Amino acid sequence: MRRAIAFAALAAALAACAPSVPGSSGSSGSSSSQAPASADRLTIGTTADVVNFNPLVGNSRTDSWVTNLMYPHLTQMDATGKRVPYLATEWSYSEDGKTATAKLRDDMKWSDGKPVTADDVVFSVSAVQKEKFGVVAGLITALDKAEAVSPTEVRFNLTRPDGTFLDNVGFWLPIVPKHVFEKAPSVQKFANDANWVSAGPFKLTKVERGQRYIMERVDDFGPGTPAVKEVVFRVFPDVNTEVLALRNGEIDVIGNVLPPATATDLKNDTSVKLQEIPSLGWAHLQYNTKRKPMDDVRVRQALAHAVDYEAIRNIALKGFAKSSNSSVLTPSLPQWTDPAAKEYAFDPEQSKKLLTEAGVANLSLNMIYDQADPNIARWAPMVRDSAKKAGITIKLQGLERNTYLDKTAKRDFDIYAGSWAVMDNPPANLGLAFKSGGFINYAQVSDPKLDDLIDKAQQSLTVEDAKAPIQEAARLISDQVYDNVLYVETFNVAHSAKWTGFQPMPSELLSILNPLSLASAKPAGS
Amino acid sequence: MTAVAVDLTPRQRTWTSFRRNPLGVGSAIVLILLALTAICAPLIAPFPEGYGADTSQPPSAAHWFGTDDIGQDVFAQVVWGTRVSMAVGVSASVLAIVIGLLIGVSAAYFRRLDTPLGVLVDLSLSLPVLPLMILVAALAGPSVRTLAVVIALFSWPEVARVVRSQAMAIVPMPFVSAAKVVGGSSLWIVRKHLLPGVIPVVGVSVVLTTSRAVLAEAGLSFLGLGDPNSWSWGTILHKAQQSGALASAWWTTLFPSLAILLLVLSTTLLSVAYNDARNHRNGS
Amino acid sequence: MRFIGLRLARGLLTLWFAVTVTFFLVRLLPGDPVLAVADPNMTEELRLKLLADFGLDRPLGVQYIDYLGQLLQGNLGMSFRQSIPVTTVLMDRLPWTLILTASAMVVTILLGIPLGVLAATKAKGWVDRVIQLTGVTAQSLFVPSVGIFLMYVMGVWLGWFPIGGAVDLDATGFAATLSMLHHLVLPCLSLVLIQLGGYVLTMRTTLIDALGEDYVSLAKSKGVRPGTVVWKHALRNALLPTTTIAGLQLGTLVGGAVLTETIYAYPGIGRAIYEAVGQLDFPVLQGAFVLLAAAVVVANLITDVAYGILDPRVRTS
Repeated sequence: MRRAIAFAALAAALAACAPSVPGSSGSSGSSSSQAPASADRLTIGTTADVVNFNPLVGNSRTDSWVTNLMYPHLTQMDATGKRVPYLATEWSYSEDGKTATAKLRDDMKWSDGKPVTADDVVFSVSAVQKEKFGVVAGLITALDKAEAVSPTEVRFNLTRPDGTFLDNVGFWLPIVPKHVFEKAPSVQKFANDANWVSAGPFKLTKVERGQRYIMERVDDFGPGTPAVKEVVFRVFPDVNTEVLALRNGEIDVIGNVLPPATATDLKNDTSVKLQEIPSLGWAHLQYNTKRKPMDDVRVRQALAHAVDYEAIRNIALKGFAKSSNSSVLTPSLPQWTDPAAKEYAFDPEQSKKLLTEAGVANLSLNMIYDQADPNIARWAPMVRDSAKKAGITIKLQGLERNTYLDKTAKRDFDIYAGSWAVMDNPPANLGLAFKSGGFINYAQVSDPKLDDLIDKAQQSLTVEDAKAPIQEAARLISDQVYDNVLYVETFNVAHSAKWTGFQPMPSELLSILNPLSLASAKPAGS
Repeated sequence: MTAVAVDLTPRQRTWTSFRRNPLGVGSAIVLILLALTAICAPLIAPFPEGYGADTSQPPSAAHWFGTDDIGQDVFAQVVWGTRVSMAVGVSASVLAIVIGLLIGVSAAYFRRLDTPLGVLVDLSLSLPVLPLMILVAALAGPSVRTLAVVIALFSWPEVARVVRSQAMAIVPMPFVSAAKVVGGSSLWIVRKHLLPGVIPVVGVSVVLTTSRAVLAEAGLSFLGLGDPNSWSWGTILHKAQQSGALASAWWTTLFPSLAILLLVLSTTLLSVAYNDARNHRNGS
Repeated sequence: MRFIGLRLARGLLTLWFAVTVTFFLVRLLPGDPVLAVADPNMTEELRLKLLADFGLDRPLGVQYIDYLGQLLQGNLGMSFRQSIPVTTVLMDRLPWTLILTASAMVVTILLGIPLGVLAATKAKGWVDRVIQLTGVTAQSLFVPSVGIFLMYVMGVWLGWFPIGGAVDLDATGFAATLSMLHHLVLPCLSLVLIQLGGYVLTMRTTLIDALGEDYVSLAKSKGVRPGTVVWKHALRNALLPTTTIAGLQLGTLVGGAVLTETIYAYPGIGRAIYEAVGQLDFPVLQGAFVLLAAAVVVANLITDVAYGILDPRVRTS
C-alpha cells in the first residue's frame, strides 16, 4: 500500500515535470553559442526568484525588474537622476506648493484592453496611503488626497508644501489596474500571482518558480513597440554560474551587478560588453551618536581620519568607485553637488591628536555589517586595519543579513558599515536619514539646525531653491561626521556583445533592465 | 585469516596488520602532516590580513597558491584554514562522541532508558541535518565555536546508535553480571567493562565524525554562515564565490577544495584500514 | 500487521517531533520577519499591523497549538513574503527534488550493488582496491567544488551539458523529457558521487561476511556454481544492511540536495529552504521541514517493510 502511494507520487511528479510550452520551437542551450542573436528572445540572468508579484509590495531586486516591465510609473529617470516622462507627460506644483498636478498620456492600455487612466493612478496612491505599506508609504506623508480631474489629469492635494512629492511618487509608485486590484479585500495582501493585467512594454506570460519568468512584448505599447519579442529572466544561484552561462551563450545579460573582481576579469573578454552604471547611493560608516564617546564630534572626526579611503576604492572596489568628498551629495546627482566639499584625509596622527583632545584612550568599538554583501565583506577588514594605525581597536561583527537588519533597526551598534542603494532626491532622503526620528537615521542624529535646513529644502519647489539649504545641511553632516561617506560605486553590468541598444540608467534597480532600455534593446548588426 | 603470531596482544595484532596496509599508513602520515600544519601555521605563513598589490595572481614562486582579489596569499589562507577546519572537525567530533557515548552506554546499561533514548536517536536521525544546521547556525550567529557545537549537535545520534549496539552485546556477558552480583557500582562497571568494550568502535566513529564535521563546516561556511574573523577552507571558497572568482581564478577554488578532499579522504581511508586490521584480528 | 502499526505510530511521533523542533527553532531565528518582508522604512504602526497579520503577536504556545491544528487539516499556512499558500510554494518545488533525489538514489543503487559485489568477490585484489579507493574519494568530495568543476569542464569547455536550470524553455513533449534528463545529469552525478562510497563499502563488507557464513560454505560444498552462490545466497543477506543504508541515507541525500540544488540552480525544495531562511519566511520553512520529515518517515517505513520481505525473522519478532 505504502509503496503504491510512493510510486503514484513519483509518477505524478514525473508527469508534472514535462511542461508543455505552446507556440515556440527551436532549441536554446549551449548549441546557440555560435549562432548570431535573433530578436526573438533576450535572456537575463538573475540570482533570485520573484518573491511577490504585487508591484506595490515586492521589494527585492528581481521583483522590481520584472514588475517594472509590467506596471508603468509616472516618470522615469535619466542618467543624472533627473525625472523624464513615462506615463506622465508633464507635472507641476501650484504657487503655494500645496497642490501637485500630473498630466497623463492617453495611449497606454492595460493588457485586457481597458485604457490606463487617472483613476488607476488615484487608486494606486490611495491604496498605499490607506494601508500604509511598501517603500512609497514613507514618501507620501504630505499627501492629503489624490483625485482624478479628468481621465488624463491627476491632482494631489498636500497638507504642506513638499517639493519632493512629485519626484518621489513619479519614480517610486507603480501604477496598478484599479479594476483588478480593487477586487482584493486588502491590496497589500493581494498576491497577484496569475492572470496578470499589465500595461508595460512586456507582459508576463509564464512563471516557472525557481527557474524562469517569461515575458512577451506588447505590440501596441504607447511609447513604442519593443524590438525583442520575448524577455526571459532565468534564475541562477550566484554570479559565478551566471558568468559561466553568459560565456556559454545560455544567457544574454547578467542582471546583477558584477563584483569588481569579475568585472576586471570580463573586461578582456571580447564576446562580452560591460556597461558602467552610476550608483544613486553610497557606502558609508555611521557612528552611533547616542553612545559614548562617539557623542563627541572630535571622536567621530578621529574615526573619519582613520579610514584609508583611497585603498578601499582602489583595492576592494578595484577602482570602480568615486570619491564623494565625504559629502552626502554625491557626484551621481551633479545638479546637487557642492564643489567645496573635501574628503577627510587618512591621517592616523591627526586621529590620535583628536582622541587625546577628547580625553579618550584605548578606544575599542564594534562594527556591524552584512556578511553577505561582498564589497563590504571585502573592505570591513581594511577599516579595522587602518584604524589600528591610529590606535583604535575595531571588532568586526559580520552578521547574517536578518540579524544585521535587526541590530540596525534597534540601533544596537557602535559603528554601522553599510550602503544605501537609491538616494535619488536629497531633500527627501536626508529627511529620512538625518532628521530627528527619521526611519533610517541609524546614527541617531538629533540636531535642530540640521532639521531646519532639511525642512526648508523640502518645502522648496525647485532644485534651485532647495540647493542652498541642502548644501548647508550636507556640510553640517560632513563636519559633524553624522555620516562618513566612503565612496559611490560604479556598477558594472555585463551583456553579450551580440546585443546592443541598451539605455543604462543609474542604480542597480534601473540599470540596463529598465523598461525603456529593454524596449530599445536589439541584436547587434541588425 | 592471516598468519599472526599467537603471543601478540589483540592491540599489537591490529597494529601489525594495520602497518601492512599502505593506504592506511599513507593516510596516517597525511593526517599527521595536516595536524602539524595546523599547529605550526604561524611558522609557515603570516596570518592573511590586509591587502596586497598583486591581486588575482595565478600561482607563482612568490605565491604558491596564487593570490585572491584583494591580493592576499591563498597559500597562507589554506594553511591557516587548516587550523580552523581541523579544530572545528576535531572538537565537533569529540563533543559528538561524548554525547553519543553517554547516551549509547546509558541506553544499553539502564534498560528502562533504552526505549526513550532509542526513540530520541531515531527521531534525531530522521531530521534533515543540513537544513537544520543552516537554521541553527543562522540562529546562533557565526563563530567557530558555534559551528563546532551545531555540528556536534547533529552528529551524535549515529555514534549513540553504534555504541549502543556494541554495548548491548557486552551487558549480558557473565563478567558484567558477576560484577553486579559482587556489588560493583554502576559507574565502576561502566568504566571498567563497558567503556573498554566500546572504545574500538568509537575509534572508527571519531574518524568518520571528524570527516563529516569538516565537510559540514565547509558547507556552512560556504553558504556564508561561517566565522568572518577567521579563515577556514569553506570561508576561502565562500569569499571566492562572493567575488565571482570561482571559475575564473581557479586557484582560489582548487586549493581549498583539495585540502578538504585530502583531509576527508585520509580520515576515511584511515578508518577503513583500521577496521580491516581489526577484522583480521577477529578472523585469526 | 501489528509490526506495521507500531512503525506507523513511530513515524507519526517522528513527524510531530520534527514539527515541534522546527516550529520553535524557526521562531528563535534572530531578526524580525516583518523587517525582512517589508521595507525598513516603515512606521511602527505598520510593523505592529504586519506582526498581527502574520499571527506573530500572540503567545508562542497559542501559535504552536494553532499551527498543529491547522496542520492536521492539511493547512500549512500562507507564505509571509509571497502572499500565497505554502502548499503552492512547495508543490511547485517538490517534483524537482523528487526527481533529483530519486534518480540519484536509483543510479547509486544500480552502480553501488554490482560494484560492491565485484569488490567483495575480488577482495584484496587490485579491482577491489580501485573500487574502494574510488568510492571513498568520491565520498570525500565537497559538493560545491565538484559542482563548479563539472559545470566548468562539462558545461563551458566541452559544451555537453547546460549551466544550471532544470528544463529547456522551448522543449515540448518528448523533447522536454530529454531536456529534463539533460539538465539532470550534472546535479544527479554530484549526488551519486558523494553517496556511492557508502553503498559500495557496506555491500562489500557485508557480502564478505556473508560469503564466510556456514550456509554459503554448505552451498559451495554442494557444488553450486560460485556465481550462483554470490548472487542467490549471499547477496540476499547482504541486501539487508544496504536497504537500511538507503533509508538512513535519505536524510543525507536531502541535505546534499540543498547544496546541490543551490549550486546548480535546480528549482527544488532545498533551494527554497535556503531562500526562506534568508527571508525569515516561517510558514514556508516549517512547511518544507514537515515535508522533508514526512519523506524520511515514509522512506523509513518502506525500508522497514522491505526489510520484512527480505528477512522473515523481522516480521515475526
